[in-house]
Amino acid sequence: MADLLFYLMAALATVAGVGVVVARSPVISVVSLLASFGALAVIYLLAGYQFLAAIQILVYGGAVMVLFLFTVMLLNLGDPDVTSGQTEPLFHGSRRSLIGLCTATVMGAAGLVAVLRVAWNEMPSVLAIPEGGLDPLDQLAAQMFTRYSLPFEAASVLLLATAVGVLVIAKRNRPGEKAFPSRAVAAEAAPTAPAAPQPASKPLPEPGPEPEEVLS
Amino acid sequence: MTDLILLLIKASVIYGGLLGCAALMTLAERKVSAWMQYRIGPNRVGPFGLLQPLADGVKFIFKEDVTPDGANPWMFRLAPLMAAVPAMMTVAVVPFAGDVTLFGYDFGPLSIADLDIGILFVLAIGGLGVYGVILGGWASNSKYSLLGGLRASAQMISYELSLILIVLSIVAMTGSLDLREIVAAQTGTFLGVLPDWNVFQQPVAFVLFVIATFAETNRLPFDFAECEPELVGGFHTEYSSMKFALFFLGEYCAMIVMACLTTVLFLGGAEVPYWADAPWFLQLPAFMVKAGFFCFLFIWVRWTLPRFRFDQLMHLGWKVFLPVALVNLFLTGLLISF
Repeated sequence: MADLLFYLMAALATVAGVGVVVARSPVISVVSLLASFGALAVIYLLAGYQFLAAIQILVYGGAVMVLFLFTVMLLNLGDPDVTSGQTEPLFHGSRRSLIGLCTATVMGAAGLVAVLRVAWNEMPSVLAIPEGGLDPLDQLAAQMFTRYSLPFEAASVLLLATAVGVLVIAKRNRPGEKAFPSRAVAAEAAPTAPAAPQPASKPLPEPGPEPEEVLS
Repeated sequence: MTDLILLLIKASVIYGGLLGCAALMTLAERKVSAWMQYRIGPNRVGPFGLLQPLADGVKFIFKEDVTPDGANPWMFRLAPLMAAVPAMMTVAVVPFAGDVTLFGYDFGPLSIADLDIGILFVLAIGGLGVYGVILGGWASNSKYSLLGGLRASAQMISYELSLILIVLSIVAMTGSLDLREIVAAQTGTFLGVLPDWNVFQQPVAFVLFVIATFAETNRLPFDFAECEPELVGGFHTEYSSMKFALFFLGEYCAMIVMACLTTVLFLGGAEVPYWADAPWFLQLPAFMVKAGFFCFLFIWVRWTLPRFRFDQLMHLGWKVFLPVALVNLFLTGLLISF
Protein backbone atom coordinates (compact mmCIF):
# COMPACT_ATOMS: atom_id res chain seq x y z
CA MET A 1 0.00 0.00 0.00
CA ALA A 2 2.72 2.43 1.06
CA ASP A 3 4.94 1.29 -1.83
CA LEU A 4 2.15 1.78 -4.32
CA LEU A 5 1.48 5.25 -2.96
CA PHE A 6 5.16 6.07 -3.17
CA TYR A 7 5.40 5.10 -6.83
CA LEU A 8 2.20 6.96 -7.59
CA MET A 9 3.46 10.11 -5.93
CA ALA A 10 6.93 9.81 -7.43
CA ALA A 11 5.36 9.53 -10.88
CA LEU A 12 3.13 12.50 -10.19
CA ALA A 13 6.07 14.57 -8.97
CA THR A 14 8.05 13.71 -12.10
CA VAL A 15 5.22 14.34 -14.53
CA ALA A 16 4.36 17.61 -12.81
CA GLY A 17 8.04 18.57 -12.86
CA VAL A 18 8.16 18.03 -16.61
CA GLY A 19 4.94 20.00 -16.86
CA VAL A 20 6.62 22.99 -15.20
CA VAL A 21 9.16 23.16 -18.01
CA VAL A 22 6.92 22.23 -20.90
CA ALA A 23 3.85 24.36 -20.13
CA ARG A 24 3.58 27.46 -22.29
CA SER A 25 1.63 29.51 -19.80
CA PRO A 26 3.54 30.55 -16.66
CA VAL A 27 0.40 30.07 -14.59
CA ILE A 28 0.15 26.42 -15.64
CA SER A 29 3.84 26.05 -14.77
CA VAL A 30 3.18 27.35 -11.29
CA VAL A 31 0.23 25.00 -10.81
CA SER A 32 2.34 22.06 -12.01
CA LEU A 33 5.05 23.00 -9.54
CA LEU A 34 2.40 23.09 -6.84
CA ALA A 35 1.28 19.57 -7.76
CA SER A 36 4.89 18.44 -7.67
CA PHE A 37 5.35 19.94 -4.20
CA GLY A 38 2.18 18.24 -3.02
CA ALA A 39 3.44 14.86 -4.24
CA LEU A 40 6.77 15.50 -2.50
CA ALA A 41 4.94 16.27 0.73
CA VAL A 42 3.19 12.91 0.56
CA ILE A 43 6.56 11.23 0.01
CA TYR A 44 7.92 13.02 3.09
CA LEU A 45 4.92 11.72 5.04
CA LEU A 46 5.58 8.18 3.82
CA ALA A 47 9.20 8.53 4.91
CA GLY A 48 8.04 9.55 8.39
CA TYR A 49 8.77 13.26 8.31
CA GLN A 50 5.42 14.71 9.31
CA PHE A 51 6.58 18.16 10.25
CA LEU A 52 8.57 18.53 7.06
CA ALA A 53 5.55 17.48 5.01
CA ALA A 54 3.34 20.07 6.70
CA ILE A 55 5.96 22.77 6.28
CA GLN A 56 6.39 21.79 2.64
CA ILE A 57 2.71 22.48 2.02
CA LEU A 58 2.53 25.51 4.31
CA VAL A 59 5.61 27.34 3.10
CA TYR A 60 6.11 26.19 -0.47
CA GLY A 61 2.52 25.42 -1.35
CA GLY A 62 0.74 28.09 0.64
CA ALA A 63 3.20 30.98 0.60
CA VAL A 64 5.96 30.75 -1.99
CA MET A 65 3.80 29.45 -4.83
CA VAL A 66 1.08 32.00 -4.19
CA LEU A 67 3.74 34.67 -4.37
CA PHE A 68 4.98 33.17 -7.66
CA LEU A 69 1.48 33.13 -9.07
CA PHE A 70 0.99 36.68 -7.94
CA THR A 71 4.18 37.88 -9.55
CA VAL A 72 3.39 36.06 -12.78
CA MET A 73 -0.04 37.66 -12.92
CA LEU A 74 1.01 41.18 -11.92
CA LEU A 75 4.00 41.31 -14.25
CA ASN A 76 2.00 39.65 -17.02
CA LEU A 77 5.08 37.79 -18.20
CA GLY A 78 4.28 37.04 -21.81
CA ASP A 79 1.31 34.83 -21.15
CA PRO A 80 0.64 33.42 -24.62
CA ASP A 81 -2.75 34.55 -25.79
CA VAL A 82 -4.89 31.52 -26.47
CA THR A 83 -7.34 33.39 -28.66
CA SER A 84 -4.81 35.00 -31.00
CA GLY A 85 -3.17 31.67 -31.82
CA GLN A 86 0.20 33.27 -31.45
CA THR A 87 2.68 30.79 -30.03
CA GLU A 88 6.42 30.85 -29.88
CA PRO A 89 8.61 27.74 -30.14
CA LEU A 90 9.46 26.13 -26.85
CA PHE A 91 13.23 26.18 -27.27
CA HIS A 92 14.06 29.36 -29.08
CA GLY A 93 17.50 30.89 -29.02
CA SER A 94 20.42 28.48 -28.84
CA ARG A 95 22.12 30.30 -25.96
CA ARG A 96 19.12 30.12 -23.71
CA SER A 97 18.57 26.43 -24.32
CA LEU A 98 22.29 25.77 -23.83
CA ILE A 99 22.26 27.45 -20.42
CA GLY A 100 19.11 25.55 -19.53
CA LEU A 101 20.60 22.26 -20.66
CA CYS A 102 23.78 22.84 -18.63
CA THR A 103 21.84 23.75 -15.51
CA ALA A 104 19.58 20.73 -15.89
CA THR A 105 22.57 18.40 -16.39
CA VAL A 106 24.39 19.72 -13.32
CA MET A 107 21.27 19.50 -11.16
CA GLY A 108 20.46 16.02 -12.47
CA ALA A 109 24.00 14.84 -11.79
CA ALA A 110 23.91 16.28 -8.28
CA GLY A 111 20.62 14.52 -7.62
CA LEU A 112 21.95 11.24 -8.98
CA VAL A 113 25.05 11.43 -6.78
CA ALA A 114 22.89 12.14 -3.75
CA VAL A 115 20.64 9.16 -4.52
CA LEU A 116 23.57 6.81 -5.15
CA ARG A 117 25.26 7.77 -1.90
CA VAL A 118 22.28 6.74 0.22
CA ALA A 119 22.75 3.42 1.99
CA TRP A 120 19.46 1.89 0.87
CA ASN A 121 19.71 -1.24 2.97
CA GLU A 122 20.00 0.87 6.12
CA MET A 123 16.84 2.84 5.38
CA PRO A 124 14.09 2.20 7.91
CA SER A 125 10.98 0.58 6.48
CA VAL A 126 7.71 2.47 6.50
CA LEU A 127 6.38 0.26 9.27
CA ALA A 128 9.31 1.12 11.56
CA ILE A 129 8.39 4.81 11.79
CA PRO A 130 7.81 5.83 15.39
CA GLU A 131 4.50 7.33 16.49
CA GLY A 132 5.59 10.98 16.40
CA GLY A 133 7.41 10.69 13.10
CA LEU A 134 11.14 10.93 12.56
CA ASP A 135 11.34 14.65 13.05
CA PRO A 136 10.22 15.60 16.55
CA LEU A 137 9.89 19.37 16.72
CA ASP A 138 12.23 19.94 19.65
CA GLN A 139 15.13 18.12 18.01
CA LEU A 140 14.57 19.87 14.72
CA ALA A 141 14.40 23.27 16.41
CA ALA A 142 17.52 22.58 18.47
CA GLN A 143 19.45 21.66 15.32
CA MET A 144 18.14 24.57 13.32
CA PHE A 145 18.86 27.27 15.87
CA THR A 146 22.29 26.02 16.92
CA ARG A 147 24.21 24.09 14.33
CA TYR A 148 22.39 25.30 11.23
CA SER A 149 21.48 28.83 12.26
CA LEU A 150 23.94 30.47 9.86
CA PRO A 151 22.84 28.56 6.73
CA PHE A 152 19.24 29.12 7.78
CA GLU A 153 19.66 32.89 8.00
CA ALA A 154 21.76 32.95 4.83
CA ALA A 155 19.01 31.14 2.95
CA SER A 156 16.46 33.73 4.04
CA VAL A 157 18.70 36.58 2.85
CA LEU A 158 19.17 34.75 -0.44
CA LEU A 159 15.42 34.39 -0.89
CA LEU A 160 14.90 38.08 -0.24
CA ALA A 161 17.64 39.01 -2.71
CA THR A 162 16.04 36.76 -5.32
CA ALA A 163 12.65 38.36 -4.85
CA VAL A 164 14.10 41.85 -5.24
CA GLY A 165 16.17 40.75 -8.24
CA VAL A 166 13.18 39.28 -10.05
CA LEU A 167 11.28 42.50 -9.58
CA VAL A 168 14.15 44.58 -10.97
CA ILE A 169 14.74 42.35 -13.99
CA ALA A 170 11.09 41.98 -14.89
CA LYS A 171 10.39 45.70 -14.56
CA ARG A 172 13.27 46.80 -16.76
CA ASN A 173 12.33 44.99 -19.94
CA ARG A 174 8.76 46.13 -20.26
CA PRO A 175 8.26 48.16 -23.41
CA GLY A 176 6.22 51.33 -23.35
CA GLU A 177 6.81 52.01 -19.71
CA LYS A 178 9.03 54.33 -17.76
CA ALA A 179 12.14 53.02 -16.03
CA PHE A 180 10.60 53.83 -12.68
CA PRO A 181 7.19 52.39 -12.01
CA SER A 182 4.47 54.96 -12.10
CA ARG A 183 2.42 55.65 -9.05
CA ALA A 184 -0.44 53.51 -10.21
CA VAL A 185 1.79 50.51 -10.88
CA ALA A 186 3.56 50.98 -7.57
CA ALA A 187 0.25 51.03 -5.74
CA GLU A 188 -0.83 47.92 -7.61
CA ALA A 189 2.37 46.12 -6.72
CA ALA A 190 2.25 47.24 -3.10
CA PRO A 191 0.63 44.06 -1.73
CA THR A 192 3.49 41.95 -3.06
CA ALA A 193 6.27 44.18 -1.87
CA PRO A 194 5.83 43.64 1.88
CA ALA A 195 5.27 39.96 1.27
CA ALA A 196 8.83 39.57 0.03
CA PRO A 197 10.54 39.31 3.45
CA GLN A 198 7.96 36.69 4.43
CA PRO A 199 10.33 33.71 4.35
CA ALA A 200 12.76 35.56 6.59
CA SER A 201 10.27 36.14 9.38
CA LYS A 202 8.96 32.60 9.35
CA PRO A 203 10.96 29.63 10.62
CA LEU A 204 11.62 28.08 7.26
CA PRO A 205 13.39 24.77 7.63
CA GLU A 206 15.72 23.67 4.92
CA PRO A 207 14.42 20.46 3.38
CA GLY A 208 18.06 19.49 3.17
CA PRO A 209 20.28 17.91 5.73
CA GLU A 210 18.57 18.24 9.15
CA PRO A 211 16.35 15.16 8.96
CA GLU A 212 19.35 12.97 8.41
CA GLU A 213 20.98 14.55 11.40
CA VAL A 214 17.95 13.67 13.47
CA LEU A 215 18.15 10.15 12.18
CA SER A 216 21.73 9.53 13.22
CA MET B 1 -10.20 -3.71 9.38
CA THR B 2 -12.39 -2.53 12.24
CA ASP B 3 -10.20 0.56 12.41
CA LEU B 4 -10.96 1.32 8.79
CA ILE B 5 -14.69 0.84 9.28
CA LEU B 6 -14.57 3.01 12.40
CA LEU B 7 -12.74 5.70 10.46
CA LEU B 8 -15.28 5.54 7.64
CA ILE B 9 -18.15 5.88 10.11
CA LYS B 10 -16.53 8.85 11.81
CA ALA B 11 -15.65 10.49 8.50
CA SER B 12 -19.18 10.14 7.15
CA VAL B 13 -20.71 11.47 10.37
CA ILE B 14 -18.36 14.46 10.59
CA TYR B 15 -18.49 15.33 6.90
CA GLY B 16 -22.24 14.90 6.85
CA GLY B 17 -22.42 17.25 9.79
CA LEU B 18 -20.09 19.75 8.14
CA LEU B 19 -22.00 19.84 4.86
CA GLY B 20 -25.30 20.00 6.73
CA CYS B 21 -24.02 22.90 8.79
CA ALA B 22 -22.73 24.65 5.67
CA ALA B 23 -26.18 24.32 4.10
CA LEU B 24 -27.80 25.60 7.25
CA MET B 25 -25.35 28.52 7.32
CA THR B 26 -26.59 29.71 3.94
CA LEU B 27 -30.12 29.67 5.30
CA ALA B 28 -29.04 31.32 8.55
CA GLU B 29 -27.30 34.03 6.57
CA ARG B 30 -30.50 34.91 4.76
CA LYS B 31 -32.69 34.58 7.83
CA VAL B 32 -30.48 36.66 10.12
CA SER B 33 -29.99 39.34 7.49
CA ALA B 34 -33.75 39.44 7.02
CA TRP B 35 -34.37 39.87 10.74
CA MET B 36 -31.76 42.58 10.95
CA GLN B 37 -33.43 44.45 8.11
CA TYR B 38 -36.96 43.95 9.45
CA ARG B 39 -37.89 41.41 6.81
CA ILE B 40 -39.01 37.81 7.14
CA GLY B 41 -36.60 35.95 4.89
CA PRO B 42 -37.17 32.63 3.12
CA ASN B 43 -40.16 30.85 4.67
CA ARG B 44 -41.85 29.05 1.77
CA VAL B 45 -39.86 25.84 1.44
CA GLY B 46 -40.45 23.59 4.42
CA PRO B 47 -41.19 24.73 7.99
CA PHE B 48 -39.52 28.11 8.67
CA GLY B 49 -37.83 27.79 5.26
CA LEU B 50 -35.65 24.97 6.60
CA LEU B 51 -35.60 23.13 3.28
CA GLN B 52 -34.50 26.23 1.38
CA PRO B 53 -30.83 25.04 1.08
CA LEU B 54 -32.08 21.82 -0.50
CA ALA B 55 -34.12 23.76 -3.02
CA ASP B 56 -31.11 25.96 -3.74
CA GLY B 57 -28.94 22.91 -4.27
CA VAL B 58 -31.41 21.40 -6.75
CA LYS B 59 -31.59 24.74 -8.53
CA PHE B 60 -27.80 24.90 -8.81
CA ILE B 61 -27.62 21.42 -10.30
CA PHE B 62 -30.13 22.24 -13.01
CA LYS B 63 -28.66 25.61 -13.95
CA GLU B 64 -26.78 25.93 -17.21
CA ASP B 65 -23.04 25.47 -16.80
CA VAL B 66 -21.34 28.24 -18.77
CA THR B 67 -17.63 28.35 -19.59
CA PRO B 68 -16.64 31.77 -20.90
CA ASP B 69 -14.97 32.11 -24.29
CA GLY B 70 -11.18 32.13 -24.04
CA ALA B 71 -11.15 30.75 -20.53
CA ASN B 72 -8.57 28.09 -19.72
CA PRO B 73 -10.87 25.06 -19.40
CA TRP B 74 -8.73 22.98 -17.02
CA MET B 75 -7.90 25.79 -14.65
CA PHE B 76 -11.50 26.93 -14.84
CA ARG B 77 -12.57 23.51 -13.60
CA LEU B 78 -9.79 23.15 -11.07
CA ALA B 79 -10.44 26.45 -9.30
CA PRO B 80 -13.79 25.62 -7.62
CA LEU B 81 -12.33 22.32 -6.42
CA MET B 82 -9.31 24.11 -4.98
CA ALA B 83 -11.68 26.44 -3.17
CA ALA B 84 -13.89 23.75 -1.66
CA VAL B 85 -11.65 20.75 -1.00
CA PRO B 86 -8.99 22.30 1.29
CA ALA B 87 -11.67 23.91 3.46
CA MET B 88 -13.37 20.53 3.86
CA MET B 89 -10.12 18.66 4.49
CA THR B 90 -9.13 20.80 7.45
CA VAL B 91 -12.11 19.68 9.48
CA ALA B 92 -10.54 16.21 9.70
CA VAL B 93 -8.33 17.14 12.67
CA VAL B 94 -10.81 19.19 14.70
CA PRO B 95 -11.52 17.41 18.00
CA PHE B 96 -15.28 17.78 18.40
CA ALA B 97 -15.60 15.78 21.63
CA GLY B 98 -13.84 13.27 23.83
CA ASP B 99 -14.29 9.49 23.74
CA VAL B 100 -17.62 8.48 22.33
CA THR B 101 -19.41 5.46 23.80
CA LEU B 102 -22.59 4.51 22.08
CA PHE B 103 -24.61 1.30 22.62
CA GLY B 104 -21.82 0.09 24.89
CA TYR B 105 -19.21 0.35 22.15
CA ASP B 106 -16.20 2.66 22.46
CA PHE B 107 -15.76 4.63 19.23
CA GLY B 108 -12.76 6.60 20.45
CA PRO B 109 -12.47 10.38 20.31
CA LEU B 110 -14.82 12.23 17.96
CA SER B 111 -12.38 13.44 15.31
CA ILE B 112 -11.31 11.80 12.08
CA ALA B 113 -7.55 12.07 12.58
CA ASP B 114 -5.56 12.85 15.68
CA LEU B 115 -2.38 14.32 14.24
CA ASP B 116 0.62 15.42 16.28
CA ILE B 117 0.85 18.41 13.97
CA GLY B 118 -2.88 19.12 13.88
CA ILE B 119 -2.71 22.89 13.92
CA LEU B 120 -0.01 22.91 11.24
CA PHE B 121 -2.21 20.66 9.11
CA VAL B 122 -5.10 23.09 9.40
CA LEU B 123 -2.93 26.07 8.50
CA ALA B 124 -1.12 24.28 5.66
CA ILE B 125 -4.16 22.79 3.96
CA GLY B 126 -6.37 25.78 4.72
CA GLY B 127 -3.76 28.01 3.09
CA LEU B 128 -4.26 26.15 -0.19
CA GLY B 129 -7.78 27.58 -0.43
CA VAL B 130 -6.31 30.78 -1.85
CA TYR B 131 -5.57 28.95 -5.11
CA GLY B 132 -9.26 28.53 -5.77
CA VAL B 133 -9.74 32.26 -5.64
CA ILE B 134 -6.66 33.27 -7.61
CA LEU B 135 -6.97 30.56 -10.27
CA GLY B 136 -10.69 31.16 -10.61
CA GLY B 137 -9.98 34.82 -11.21
CA TRP B 138 -7.27 34.10 -13.74
CA ALA B 139 -8.96 31.28 -15.64
CA SER B 140 -12.18 33.23 -16.22
CA ASN B 141 -10.45 35.48 -18.77
CA SER B 142 -12.25 38.52 -17.40
CA LYS B 143 -10.67 41.61 -15.91
CA TYR B 144 -13.10 41.88 -13.03
CA SER B 145 -12.46 38.30 -12.06
CA LEU B 146 -8.70 38.74 -12.30
CA LEU B 147 -8.77 41.88 -10.15
CA GLY B 148 -10.99 40.15 -7.59
CA GLY B 149 -8.73 37.11 -7.51
CA LEU B 150 -5.59 39.18 -7.11
CA ARG B 151 -7.07 41.28 -4.35
CA ALA B 152 -8.37 38.29 -2.49
CA SER B 153 -5.11 36.41 -2.66
CA ALA B 154 -3.11 39.47 -1.56
CA GLN B 155 -5.45 39.78 1.38
CA MET B 156 -5.35 36.10 2.26
CA ILE B 157 -1.56 35.80 2.26
CA SER B 158 -1.24 39.04 4.23
CA TYR B 159 -3.53 37.90 6.99
CA GLU B 160 -2.35 34.32 6.98
CA LEU B 161 0.97 35.59 8.30
CA SER B 162 -0.63 37.32 11.28
CA LEU B 163 -2.86 34.30 11.81
CA ILE B 164 0.13 31.97 12.01
CA LEU B 165 1.98 34.28 14.40
CA ILE B 166 -1.05 34.41 16.69
CA VAL B 167 -1.41 30.65 16.61
CA LEU B 168 2.29 30.40 17.38
CA SER B 169 1.84 32.22 20.68
CA ILE B 170 -0.83 29.69 21.67
CA VAL B 171 1.41 26.83 20.54
CA ALA B 172 4.27 28.29 22.56
CA MET B 173 2.06 28.38 25.67
CA THR B 174 0.92 24.80 25.22
CA GLY B 175 4.17 23.40 23.88
CA SER B 176 2.33 21.22 21.39
CA LEU B 177 0.93 21.39 17.87
CA ASP B 178 -1.66 18.75 18.70
CA LEU B 179 -5.15 20.28 18.84
CA ARG B 180 -6.21 17.72 21.44
CA GLU B 181 -3.35 18.74 23.72
CA ILE B 182 -4.12 22.41 23.20
CA VAL B 183 -7.66 21.66 24.40
CA ALA B 184 -6.39 19.59 27.30
CA ALA B 185 -4.12 22.45 28.42
CA GLN B 186 -7.18 24.66 28.86
CA THR B 187 -8.94 22.64 31.56
CA GLY B 188 -9.10 23.94 35.12
CA THR B 189 -9.61 27.48 36.31
CA PHE B 190 -7.79 30.75 35.76
CA LEU B 191 -7.50 33.25 38.65
CA GLY B 192 -9.76 31.01 40.70
CA VAL B 193 -13.07 31.75 38.96
CA LEU B 194 -12.77 31.86 35.19
CA PRO B 195 -12.30 28.71 33.13
CA ASP B 196 -8.65 28.34 32.12
CA TRP B 197 -9.30 29.25 28.48
CA ASN B 198 -6.81 30.98 26.27
CA VAL B 199 -9.30 33.76 25.62
CA PHE B 200 -8.63 35.02 29.17
CA GLN B 201 -4.91 34.38 29.06
CA GLN B 202 -4.35 35.79 25.56
CA PRO B 203 -7.07 38.41 25.05
CA VAL B 204 -5.05 40.37 22.48
CA ALA B 205 -4.34 37.25 20.48
CA PHE B 206 -8.02 36.32 20.62
CA VAL B 207 -9.22 39.65 19.22
CA LEU B 208 -6.57 39.60 16.48
CA PHE B 209 -7.36 36.00 15.60
CA VAL B 210 -11.09 36.58 15.24
CA ILE B 211 -10.55 39.63 13.02
CA ALA B 212 -7.93 37.80 10.98
CA THR B 213 -10.33 34.91 10.38
CA PHE B 214 -12.75 37.39 8.80
CA ALA B 215 -10.03 38.52 6.42
CA GLU B 216 -8.90 34.97 5.79
CA THR B 217 -12.38 33.77 4.83
CA ASN B 218 -13.05 36.87 2.67
CA ARG B 219 -16.03 37.97 4.70
CA LEU B 220 -17.36 41.44 5.12
CA PRO B 221 -15.93 43.90 6.22
CA PHE B 222 -13.05 42.42 4.20
CA ASP B 223 -14.85 40.85 1.23
CA PHE B 224 -12.70 42.39 -1.49
CA ALA B 225 -12.81 39.16 -3.42
CA GLU B 226 -16.41 39.90 -4.35
CA CYS B 227 -16.96 43.56 -3.67
CA GLU B 228 -20.10 43.80 -5.84
CA PRO B 229 -20.15 47.57 -6.46
CA GLU B 230 -16.62 47.59 -7.87
CA LEU B 231 -15.95 44.18 -9.36
CA VAL B 232 -19.40 42.84 -10.37
CA GLY B 233 -18.87 39.62 -8.45
CA GLY B 234 -15.12 39.31 -8.19
CA PHE B 235 -13.41 36.02 -8.92
CA HIS B 236 -16.66 34.09 -9.39
CA THR B 237 -18.29 36.53 -11.80
CA GLU B 238 -18.03 34.06 -14.68
CA TYR B 239 -18.98 30.97 -12.73
CA SER B 240 -22.39 29.41 -12.82
CA SER B 241 -24.24 26.28 -11.78
CA MET B 242 -22.47 23.77 -9.52
CA LYS B 243 -19.06 25.40 -9.99
CA PHE B 244 -20.41 28.54 -8.39
CA ALA B 245 -22.04 26.42 -5.70
CA LEU B 246 -18.67 24.83 -4.95
CA PHE B 247 -17.13 28.26 -4.35
CA PHE B 248 -19.99 29.03 -2.02
CA LEU B 249 -19.64 25.70 -0.26
CA GLY B 250 -15.92 26.30 0.20
CA GLU B 251 -16.56 29.72 1.67
CA TYR B 252 -19.06 28.43 4.21
CA CYS B 253 -16.96 25.39 5.09
CA ALA B 254 -13.97 27.69 5.64
CA MET B 255 -16.11 29.80 7.94
CA ILE B 256 -17.22 26.78 9.95
CA VAL B 257 -13.67 25.47 10.20
CA MET B 258 -12.41 28.86 11.36
CA ALA B 259 -15.18 29.00 13.97
CA CYS B 260 -14.16 25.50 15.15
CA LEU B 261 -10.51 26.54 15.25
CA THR B 262 -11.25 29.65 17.29
CA THR B 263 -13.20 27.45 19.70
CA VAL B 264 -10.38 24.95 19.99
CA LEU B 265 -7.60 27.51 20.37
CA PHE B 266 -9.28 30.04 22.62
CA LEU B 267 -12.44 28.63 24.19
CA GLY B 268 -11.26 25.27 25.45
CA GLY B 269 -12.70 23.25 22.55
CA ALA B 270 -15.25 20.72 23.68
CA GLU B 271 -14.68 21.39 27.38
CA VAL B 272 -17.77 21.99 29.48
CA PRO B 273 -16.82 24.84 31.85
CA TYR B 274 -15.85 23.67 35.36
CA TRP B 275 -16.43 20.03 34.43
CA ALA B 276 -13.29 18.54 32.97
CA ASP B 277 -14.54 14.98 32.38
CA ALA B 278 -18.03 15.63 31.11
CA PRO B 279 -19.45 12.83 28.94
CA TRP B 280 -19.26 13.29 25.17
CA PHE B 281 -22.95 13.96 24.73
CA LEU B 282 -22.47 17.12 26.81
CA GLN B 283 -19.13 18.01 25.26
CA LEU B 284 -20.44 17.96 21.70
CA PRO B 285 -23.26 20.46 22.40
CA ALA B 286 -20.77 22.62 24.32
CA PHE B 287 -18.51 22.66 21.27
CA MET B 288 -21.41 23.39 18.95
CA VAL B 289 -22.63 26.28 21.09
CA LYS B 290 -19.18 27.85 21.14
CA ALA B 291 -18.50 27.32 17.43
CA GLY B 292 -22.07 28.30 16.60
CA PHE B 293 -21.53 31.64 18.29
CA PHE B 294 -18.59 32.39 16.01
CA CYS B 295 -20.58 31.28 12.97
CA PHE B 296 -23.29 33.69 14.05
CA LEU B 297 -20.65 36.37 14.56
CA PHE B 298 -19.62 36.00 10.91
CA ILE B 299 -23.20 36.70 9.82
CA TRP B 300 -23.80 39.38 12.45
CA VAL B 301 -20.74 41.38 11.42
CA ARG B 302 -21.49 40.99 7.73
CA TRP B 303 -24.88 42.66 8.00
CA THR B 304 -23.72 45.32 10.46
CA LEU B 305 -20.40 46.76 9.29
CA PRO B 306 -19.60 48.53 6.01
CA ARG B 307 -16.74 47.39 3.78
CA PHE B 308 -13.16 48.61 4.27
CA ARG B 309 -11.13 50.26 1.56
CA PHE B 310 -8.43 48.01 0.13
CA ASP B 311 -5.51 50.19 1.24
CA GLN B 312 -7.01 50.37 4.72
CA LEU B 313 -7.16 46.60 4.78
CA MET B 314 -3.51 46.24 3.76
CA HIS B 315 -2.51 48.94 6.24
CA LEU B 316 -4.33 47.11 9.01
CA GLY B 317 -2.78 43.78 8.07
CA TRP B 318 0.84 44.79 7.67
CA LYS B 319 1.24 47.80 9.94
CA VAL B 320 -1.07 46.89 12.82
CA PHE B 321 -1.74 43.16 12.96
CA LEU B 322 1.72 41.92 12.14
CA PRO B 323 3.60 44.09 14.69
CA VAL B 324 1.02 43.48 17.42
CA ALA B 325 1.11 39.73 16.76
CA LEU B 326 4.91 39.78 16.87
CA VAL B 327 4.97 41.74 20.14
CA ASN B 328 2.36 39.39 21.57
CA LEU B 329 4.49 36.40 20.61
CA PHE B 330 7.56 38.04 22.13
CA LEU B 331 5.75 38.79 25.41
CA THR B 332 4.38 35.25 25.50
CA GLY B 333 7.92 33.96 25.10
CA LEU B 334 9.11 36.21 27.95
CA LEU B 335 6.28 35.03 30.21
CA ILE B 336 7.06 31.40 29.48
CA SER B 337 10.76 31.75 30.18
CA PHE B 338 10.37 33.60 33.52
